[in-house]
Amino acid sequence: MHGALKMSAAVGRVLSQQMRQSLKVLKSLAGKKNRCFSASVPIPKEGSVSNNEQKSVNRGKSADPLECRFMYPEFLPDPKPEYRNSLREKLERADMMARRSKIDIPEFYVGSILAVTVSDPHAPGKSNRFVGICIKRSGCGLRANFILRNVVDNQGVEVLYELYDPTIQKIDCLRLEKRLDNELLYLRDAPEEYSTFSFDMEPEIIPEGTPVPVNDLKVTLKPQPWLEKWERKDLKGVRDIVVNQKREMKAKAALKPWEKYDLMKIYRETIPEEEQKEIFAEVYSDLHNLEITRQKMKRQRTFIRPKKSG
Amino acid sequence: MSLILKTLTSIQSFSNLLKPGIEVTTLAKRGAKRLNPYPKKRHPGWLPRPTHVLYKDDITPENTKFIKEVVETRFGKPDVGLGMQSKSISPLRNEPIEPQTEWKEGMRRTGVIAKKIGVYPMWLKDGTKVLSTLLQVIDNHVIRYMSPEEYAPVIQRNNIRNRLGCLIVGAESMDPQLFTKEYCGVFNESGVLPKRMLGRFLISPNAALQPGTPLYAAHFKPGDYVDIRGKTIDRGFQGVMKRWGFKGMPASHGVTKTHRRGGNIGSGGTKARVMPGTKMPGHMGNRWRVFRGIRILRINTKYNVIWALGPHIPGETNSLLYMYDTVLPTRKPSTAPHFPTYLPSIQENPVEEELWAEDVHRFDDPCIEFIEETK
Amino acid sequence: MNQANVTHLVSKLKFNIRPTPRRLKNKDGPPGRVLKIQKTLTALFEYERIELFYNRADEVRGYAERLISEAIRRGPEDHEMMDLANFWIIRKEFVHKLFKVYVPRYQDYSIAYTKLHKAPRLYPGIYYKRAVLELRGNPYPSIEQRNAHSNVLLHNLLLSEARKEYRMEKYKEIAESMNEREVTSQ
Repeated sequence: MHGALKMSAAVGRVLSQQMRQSLKVLKSLAGKKNRCFSASVPIPKEGSVSNNEQKSVNRGKSADPLECRFMYPEFLPDPKPEYRNSLREKLERADMMARRSKIDIPEFYVGSILAVTVSDPHAPGKSNRFVGICIKRSGCGLRANFILRNVVDNQGVEVLYELYDPTIQKIDCLRLEKRLDNELLYLRDAPEEYSTFSFDMEPEIIPEGTPVPVNDLKVTLKPQPWLEKWERKDLKGVRDIVVNQKREMKAKAALKPWEKYDLMKIYRETIPEEEQKEIFAEVYSDLHNLEITRQKMKRQRTFIRPKKSG
Repeated sequence: MSLILKTLTSIQSFSNLLKPGIEVTTLAKRGAKRLNPYPKKRHPGWLPRPTHVLYKDDITPENTKFIKEVVETRFGKPDVGLGMQSKSISPLRNEPIEPQTEWKEGMRRTGVIAKKIGVYPMWLKDGTKVLSTLLQVIDNHVIRYMSPEEYAPVIQRNNIRNRLGCLIVGAESMDPQLFTKEYCGVFNESGVLPKRMLGRFLISPNAALQPGTPLYAAHFKPGDYVDIRGKTIDRGFQGVMKRWGFKGMPASHGVTKTHRRGGNIGSGGTKARVMPGTKMPGHMGNRWRVFRGIRILRINTKYNVIWALGPHIPGETNSLLYMYDTVLPTRKPSTAPHFPTYLPSIQENPVEEELWAEDVHRFDDPCIEFIEETK
Repeated sequence: MNQANVTHLVSKLKFNIRPTPRRLKNKDGPPGRVLKIQKTLTALFEYERIELFYNRADEVRGYAERLISEAIRRGPEDHEMMDLANFWIIRKEFVHKLFKVYVPRYQDYSIAYTKLHKAPRLYPGIYYKRAVLELRGNPYPSIEQRNAHSNVLLHNLLLSEARKEYRMEKYKEIAESMNEREVTSQ
């Protein structure tokens, strides 16, 4: 991922004065038709927000430590046996909790809209705020990171943030929702309107106890060339991908229908339930306390907000 | 007829005299010079063979239990849990000897044996991200000390009088049933359980330690520089691109069958041969390598873990390595380290649980902020 | 460092698995590998004890264990589970056997459901390592041959004598300490 970011940053054109000074900036490669849309135009909301019961997790009601795995996937170690060591994992978790006690890292998923404030020695005011949609979450432990995407001055911009980086001053979840896919990298090949978000967006408040809404918005991709072979990825959030016959045939040949039955492959890519229980039992109470304080803060904020009268 | 025969035999005997008395055959000197000689396993004479073939002994369950009980009563329970210092009882370990001399520059003290347990990032106070390798000092005990007169290494440098003694350190206690009787006998002096790995550190005689003394991670201080010796990851037979970082050849433009090959390995003419040391495919890794001048960022004294700067420490995760004060002249400590080692019984103030180098950002510190310079 | 996949929740297997899968080389590639595993798995569920090459036995062992543990977790009502069982078990009757025989048998097991024994190599023949793979709790007599007279072996005799002496000493010590306590209390 880093490589891709660097590469595309190298290709990137001169950006606006403000964004040039941000740390890691990515210009979307397919930027031929980006003059049609301006940055300030808010995204037209096509899909209605629906509640997908199977995927969603009840918020504020994470009574079962096992349910934490969706909210805090980075607490699970890398399943590769050659990297595992119980003591290292324990120390890493302790460090993560120490960092979490100093900064409020909100609950968010791929598809949520976040605002991140970073202290930056080169920025004018020594800090930089970026708003964007989270298109990918990866890494585990202290290496956990996420990519935010937005369109600034008709230019696609992506920034990779480390979740536990101490230069991050604040992370705000402006809109908490999920999308149909686990990665939204296809937004790079979608029209700019799908990844354009206003920098002065107000945080949307979801009532407590309701499940995380799943936005079943379906995206239409721009015409080829694309950055990746999207027709092979079984994307749920993309409407009718049309490719030529040759590519279709190749995609058909590359199918691996047995992989979803491969029990050992599934086992090797995940952490068994017993170990997950052990891990979350260790950090659960602290995480839960942090969550409660966060909710309290939120309630105060909603209370303080002034209401216009008369 | 007989005359002719006689003359013939005399001629033969004369020709025999002409031949050289000793048959000399010249043998080609094989493998005389190598540019990068493989490190040889030099087994010290005093160390018996550690392991033996395990046969099925048919020991009854009660007797197995009994053996375990005896071992536990003698040495204490084995090291269970997350790297806690084992509570092994050493019958010979009295109160450790008091250090007799003050530390002076140029003195060499012992090293420790550590287990590489993983790599994860840390941040410095100026906001830069660095990767750190976690090294756990597991269950280290001094096994034996050999004075300079006594110590005779297998390979000695000529004409140099040995002024350094040798300290044998062992790491990771094991079940004595897995080892030979002779190997277990090595640990009689120190009174600890047989160790999985032994290490040899050359020390000045002033830094000698009593056998049975435990070594901790607090032997070092954050900010110190250490050398780490370990066996690199065995990658097997590899091509030049992976082994030496060659560029390979283009993927297209008429290139066939030579995408990952090295290309030319020499010119013709008078040098019509392959020069020694030419980088070519071959076995990669599984070699002892020393990385020098690695800085310590942080130490946890509860679990005996050391955070060393950099992800490039040789060896796989969960492999054992040797760690000692650096020999690089510019990075040697100017202030006194714990000499001869950190001894909790002697120390007046016990060390804190977490020790950090000055420039490292602690995870429970507030966020890093940069202040605007006012002109 | 990759994030663990959290969509599936699995039970821990009770034996050490290989970090990487075996390819089980064949001319059809990965689908051929799957077919090989399907066949062996079905045979294992049919006969409960089979002798085969070690590599294949070791590879199939994981799949057999995982299938049983999934069946215990989800039960026959689950559609995905039924799909899985139909995929791996070629013959329908053994799908029934899985849910009716093996699930009740292994419900409360705290150890692995299968056992892998090393078997002697064939001579003359193909010189590959061979193994016997069996489901635990099968009706056949045990493969392992235990020494019926192990307690009269010399080292065991000596050890048991030493044990008795050790116990006697311990009891003596305890008795002495009891006596001392009585004396001090009086």
